[in-house]
Amino acid sequence: MKKIFIYTIAFFASASAIQVHAQSPEQIFKASGTPANPKVIVTWNRYYDHGGITEICKKIAAAYPDLAKLQSIGKSYDGRDLWCLTITDFKKGIESNKPGMYIDGNIHSNEIQGAEFAMYTAWYLTEAFGDTKFIQELLADKVFYIIPSINPDARDSYMHKPNNSSSPRSGVKPIDNDGDGLVNEDNYDDLDGDSHITLMRRKNPNGRYKVDPRDPRNMIQVGPDEKGDYELLGIEGIDNDGDGKVNEDGYAFEYDPNRDWGWGWQPNYIQNGAYKYPFSIPENRAVMEFVMKHPNIAAAQSFHNAGGMILRGPGGAEDVGTYNAQDVAVYDAIAKKGEELMPGYKYLVVYKDLYSAYGGELDWFYAGRGIYTYSNELWTPYLMFMKESTRDPFDNTSYSFDRYLLFQDAFVPWKEYDHPQYGKIEIGGFKKNFGRAHPGFLLESDAHRNMAFSIYHCYHTPKLSVTSLVEKDLGDGLTEVTAVIANSRIMPTHSSQDVKNKIERPDYITLNTKATVVAGMLVENADLNLTTEQKNNPGVLAVNNIPGLGTVTLKWIVSGKGPFTITIDSKKGGVVEGGK
Amino acid sequence: MRKQIFFAIGLLCFLSSFAQNYSTLAEQQARIQNIVKAYPQLATVSSMIKTNGGKDIWMITIGTGKTETKPAIAVVGGVEGNHLLGAELVIGFAENVLKASGTDSIKNLLQKTTYYLFPNMSPDASEQYFAKLKYERTGNATSTDDDRDGRLNEDPFDDLDGNGKITLMRIESPIGDYKLHPDDARALIKADPSKGEKGKYLLLSEGIDNDKDGLFNEDGEGGIAFNKNGTYKHKTFSPGAGDYPASEKETRALYDFLYDAFNVYAVISFGSNNNLSANDDKATSIVSDLYNKVSGLKDAPRTSVTGGDFLSWAYQHYGRYSFSTPGWWVPKSKPDTAKKEKAFTVEDPIANYLRWSAQQGITDVFTEWKTIVHPDFPNQKVEVGGVDPFVLINPPYKQVADLSKKHTEFLIKVAAFQPEVDLMNVKTESLANGLTRVSVDVVNKGALATHSKFADRNYFVKKIKVAVTVSDKQSLVGGKKILLLNNMEPSTKQSFSWIIKGKGKITIDAGCPTAGTKNIDISL
Repeated sequence: MKKIFIYTIAFFASASAIQVHAQSPEQIFKASGTPANPKVIVTWNRYYDHGGITEICKKIAAAYPDLAKLQSIGKSYDGRDLWCLTITDFKKGIESNKPGMYIDGNIHSNEIQGAEFAMYTAWYLTEAFGDTKFIQELLADKVFYIIPSINPDARDSYMHKPNNSSSPRSGVKPIDNDGDGLVNEDNYDDLDGDSHITLMRRKNPNGRYKVDPRDPRNMIQVGPDEKGDYELLGIEGIDNDGDGKVNEDGYAFEYDPNRDWGWGWQPNYIQNGAYKYPFSIPENRAVMEFVMKHPNIAAAQSFHNAGGMILRGPGGAEDVGTYNAQDVAVYDAIAKKGEELMPGYKYLVVYKDLYSAYGGELDWFYAGRGIYTYSNELWTPYLMFMKESTRDPFDNTSYSFDRYLLFQDAFVPWKEYDHPQYGKIEIGGFKKNFGRAHPGFLLESDAHRNMAFSIYHCYHTPKLSVTSLVEKDLGDGLTEVTAVIANSRIMPTHSSQDVKNKIERPDYITLNTKATVVAGMLVENADLNLTTEQKNNPGVLAVNNIPGLGTVTLKWIVSGKGPFTITIDSKKGGVVEGGK
Repeated sequence: MRKQIFFAIGLLCFLSSFAQNYSTLAEQQARIQNIVKAYPQLATVSSMIKTNGGKDIWMITIGTGKTETKPAIAVVGGVEGNHLLGAELVIGFAENVLKASGTDSIKNLLQKTTYYLFPNMSPDASEQYFAKLKYERTGNATSTDDDRDGRLNEDPFDDLDGNGKITLMRIESPIGDYKLHPDDARALIKADPSKGEKGKYLLLSEGIDNDKDGLFNEDGEGGIAFNKNGTYKHKTFSPGAGDYPASEKETRALYDFLYDAFNVYAVISFGSNNNLSANDDKATSIVSDLYNKVSGLKDAPRTSVTGGDFLSWAYQHYGRYSFSTPGWWVPKSKPDTAKKEKAFTVEDPIANYLRWSAQQGITDVFTEWKTIVHPDFPNQKVEVGGVDPFVLINPPYKQVADLSKKHTEFLIKVAAFQPEVDLMNVKTESLANGLTRVSVDVVNKGALATHSKFADRNYFVKKIKVAVTVSDKQSLVGGKKILLLNNMEPSTKQSFSWIIKGKGKITIDAGCPTAGTKNIDISL
């Protein structure tokens, strides 16, 4: 990061003495939909470690003080800051009174691009604000809470230590994986010293693998009537502790941070990867505390990789009943739009389309807090040749893509090695930055599409207004005041899971008047005059829910006359003043 | 109260024998510190954490030498804040066992076994016993919206008769589902419509519907209850459970300590849950048999776990043997023929308690029903009365010393069942040319298995490790250098052998934290 920054300064200092951090405007012709001359220059075709993320977040907050605020919501196990960018139009309304959209990335440390996608969203919202009316209106109404990486320790471990594309998945808090009383005594070993953990193969006349004639780098299994000449020995490593197992207890897999959340949590003998109890991982605890302190969060997105999926819960079949028809309709409406916006991505349900997982983040967000939440599995092999493809690392598509589009940059060529336990072997295979992480040239484009999905998701958090306020003289000094409150977006103020468990308090609708409120009631059917009275404190009516794309009607009997105004106070729907 | 504290500080050791009532938190703390101070070689105490109410959660370690290397029993009291007996039994055990530590049997016990004691997990709640307004509280000082309506503590109990105790109120009502007990009109029992019975009373806890929502006392000071806050089948969103499992500091502090205490093989807790009076599990029925014999307690009321409880957590999630008992319950009373009493026609705990307490000479535990004016029932007869809080689950204090003695005996004797790994039948056979086969039996000499049922594949349970160490000049030709075993049943053995080339000393290690580790040197 620092290098490119200096480079940018040096390059543009010669073109213009004043504009050191932006291209001179006359040289630029705007491509539609992209900030043409951003204040914060970020190269979106590569990845950033925690230091890089920190710097970009700080720059965004410094460049746009009225749109972005940066805070650390807590520290990771190793003491890194968990950065959160709050993005809203701070000049319009109070942040906590606006419906919120929460975005995080990188809960699994090897699933890195979520951080870039999340940061791209923050960057785009701030840079596009100046000349995009839609973004201006969005940030007047809504607030984004963006935490690029909720697992920064292991993000750095993934980038700076020897790993493969699937390691480490966890954070860095050490675990005794094999129960032998020793911790991390048998990790992967970077035998060839290239910081990529690849595969080991050995020539063997009885082996069941051979070199793929279509691409000699690939190994394929031989058929039943065929003779092979190689055996595969697994992932690069040594049996360090002499227990007869290779790589069974190391930093590459300690626990699973996405099995640590407070809904449907199960211990590790039932749910592999679970730690001591919900939120026993410090990064998750910080996120949980942040979410509890921000009841305005109505929508959430968590970025994973890979496979091109828009996932919703439940994680376990036991929870199917939690997601009732009403909530599923909301999930469906938004995710189906997502399938359109992100070609190659499919809308799926975790427990039946993927696998059962207990204690996942999206389950807690939805079932524990009533927040409509998706997990996107970023990167799909579909994006390689714009057609369906498998995730199989031995798939020829991956080799072709690497050969013709990446010019073999993604592969460590097989090379001989003298292994202390296996003898003469060869080491080689795909690098850790291929297979799950986007190749550079596709990163920005897919970040933009995923951001567009998050913006659509956020747009459909509740938008409340008073659409009608009617007074009627009842005689004897009494006035009847009837208000219709509308929600013009897809999401209700309370998901049905929320209503069922009373997770969030009801919405309060206050009739502001100097006259005395004698009675207050919810109107179930205005035409047939069906009402339910609220005896206690009738001036502030408690409404359990304001449905998406729907209305609620309320009626007060007041001793006296107007003026009357209405205050809607909804935790997830915002605070709105209405009436005359 | 102040007198008692003064007394505790002034006359350290004599307190427990002369106290007339359950210990306040200050008294508990003084007793703990006094006994630990008196036996610094065998006991240490530390505060694990302070609750949201600012109260310490104390932990006492009792044992000899490197206590963390010996198989251990964790003993937990105050599982429910209204169960004052629990803390008494745990502190009583510490006092009794340390005072007897000069004897050979206790010396040997503490050589072999470590005890981790957690006298009171509900200090915020248990103080309610000593408060101006007495009621059975289990929730800690965390503020909770028990009825989840967005308003905090808007409908607490109300002491309508001004006696400083929350009892019951009965309201004469045509829709009442309770009727008077036929043998004791002070008690009320449910009317059974299937027998053509009709109720006459509504029975509610003492209070007013302060927020006029039709419910009585549904959102008072509340708090989170330790025995509802656990991770096993947590009842998320229900009153006292918390919004997510292990939400409370004291729950997490205990879990954190225990998860890292790999040497704990059994957890014994005192609270309303009871699996010690009756036990269907063959592996652990020896423990309940011992308990029934030592305690002499009979006719235990049936209990069932409710979810989020500590008993289930220790077994299901912690993966250790887990036992719980209330330590005392109201004995079944017998009719006093001298007073011409007859056996009850309907079994009822209140009627039973009233008869039993009278026979024991216990007075002043029942508030006679008294008519009051109630704002929510303006035209109905409302009476306040009933049995005092706490007395149904906590014995009269004068019985505590004896109960404490019996539970001490149980906690000492149960350690004799401890799993114990040993190495036996070591054999060396010279094969040829400096090649030796070494055979050994690994046995579990204990009466309990080395690992309980849910210990498999648990990060926090260490396996039995059998390892052979050879020197640079020797080589292991046959057999595995390290073997990990999930479990060994009581009184079983497993045989191992290795082929080693070379002369000199080898070492064989076998064991695990819950059953101890043994090693043996063999000269080849």
